[in-house]
Amino acid sequence: MSEAKDNKPFDMFESWRGMRDVYMDTWSKAMVDVVNSEAYAQATGTTMDSCLTASAPFREALEKSMVQALKQLGMPTGADFLSLAERLTNLEMRLDDMDAALIRIERLVTALAAAPAAPPRRAARKEKPKVKQSKEAN
Amino acid sequence: METGTGVIECELTAQQQRLETLTKALTTRAAIAQTPKQLVWTLNKAKLYRYVPVVPEEQRHPVPLLLVFALMNRPSILDLRPGHSFVEFMVKQGYDVFLLDWGEPGLEDKHLKFDDYVLEALPRAIRKLKAVSGAEEFSMLGWCIGAIITTMYAALRPDDGLKNLILLTAPLDFSNKESITFAKWVDERYIDVDKLLAAFGNMPAEMINYAAKALKPVENYVGNYLRLWDNLDNPQVVEAWRAMNTWVTDNIDMAGGVFRQLIVDLYRHNRLIQGEMVLRGERVDLSRIRANLLAVVADADHITPPCQSQPIMSKVSSPDKELFQVRGGHIGIMAGSGAGKYTWPHIDQWLDPRSA
Repeated sequence: MSEAKDNKPFDMFESWRGMRDVYMDTWSKAMVDVVNSEAYAQATGTTMDSCLTASAPFREALEKSMVQALKQLGMPTGADFLSLAERLTNLEMRLDDMDAALIRIERLVTALAAAPAAPPRRAARKEKPKVKQSKEAN
Repeated sequence: METGTGVIECELTAQQQRLETLTKALTTRAAIAQTPKQLVWTLNKAKLYRYVPVVPEEQRHPVPLLLVFALMNRPSILDLRPGHSFVEFMVKQGYDVFLLDWGEPGLEDKHLKFDDYVLEALPRAIRKLKAVSGAEEFSMLGWCIGAIITTMYAALRPDDGLKNLILLTAPLDFSNKESITFAKWVDERYIDVDKLLAAFGNMPAEMINYAAKALKPVENYVGNYLRLWDNLDNPQVVEAWRAMNTWVTDNIDMAGGVFRQLIVDLYRHNRLIQGEMVLRGERVDLSRIRANLLAVVADADHITPPCQSQPIMSKVSSPDKELFQVRGGHIGIMAGSGAGKYTWPHIDQWLDPRSA
């Protein structure tokens, strides 16, 4: 066993990798503590909020000018496409409803076909009309 | 002298090969989700797939299995690569496996909420599953946010034929805020959800991806690449790394409405486990769940710590229920190297007698 160990070629990077992994572990634990802190949550939230607040006026202005430009060119806007997509989804839903109805009908037909044939009904006797002997007629 | 030159040439060739392997791993996409399947239903962006069976019909389980994954990643993690795929494993065990892929929401879907996923899309997909398979009962496996959706469905539609419910790393209880890093980040003092969604419509995939990686920044941004560097001479490790990297870097936006509910109703107010969550006027009462339940938790899960999944066990009415704790992380328990030895066989052993 020890011979095999001795015959192993020397890898000068082995010890370096070991040190690196130890350092990585320590660094990783420290960073997990950092991101798990209230301070990190607050800093991230503040940064994102600032970005959103700063970009909002530009975004709105760009959106308005884009809509105007597209309208002047007689081209559909993003809102038009969104509306169309919603209508298509509604159509898909109706198709899916029809598919479900067809499945139900198919099942009913299959069940009816599989059911044993019922004995033929006797023709209902024609009842003789009851003659009411009204006092008035008499 | 010649020997010295030969050694140097050999070393240079080896280094060149390593660089080529590294470039390939970092710049090309692996072929994932390769198990043969058929598309059986679509609605908006959602698609329902049925995997092609590989065992004779008489050896198959009569109760089909529906897989429901999260909303911000592709479900291909369930079918990562040939020889290392949960889907492939379950198909080989004789299950009739269906996969519901939610797809990527567009801006027109920004209003979609849990209400729509749980009470509109999922019941329709299940109806199609029943029609295609011919079965009246089915099993359902939900993972991460997919587990939230399946739990809500199981509570709201207990008589719809759900026989077995498997929850993987299900974030259901948000009361222990100290253990849930996400809960700290999305606190109402720090994040204005309405402002965020007014800007983007849907929650951008890049932001979700950043948040997930920032939970363990050193592992995700440094350690992950060092692991690849250390194993460039090992083709198996490189292929596994490339497949996982392909999946990890393919994120999708989350519909604005469902993101708002996730943050406000769940992370902030913990409404689901407290029985206060209401979808389309119906209260989600977890005690109405009667299906056989297997809850799988990962002991080293930094995204959904076990304390978020365990409380479901005392809330449901299922007489047959089991909590299974696995060593590993949020994704590793189903897609890591130990998944095929521990998690998948356990799911199969649990589901097998209940799928008759």
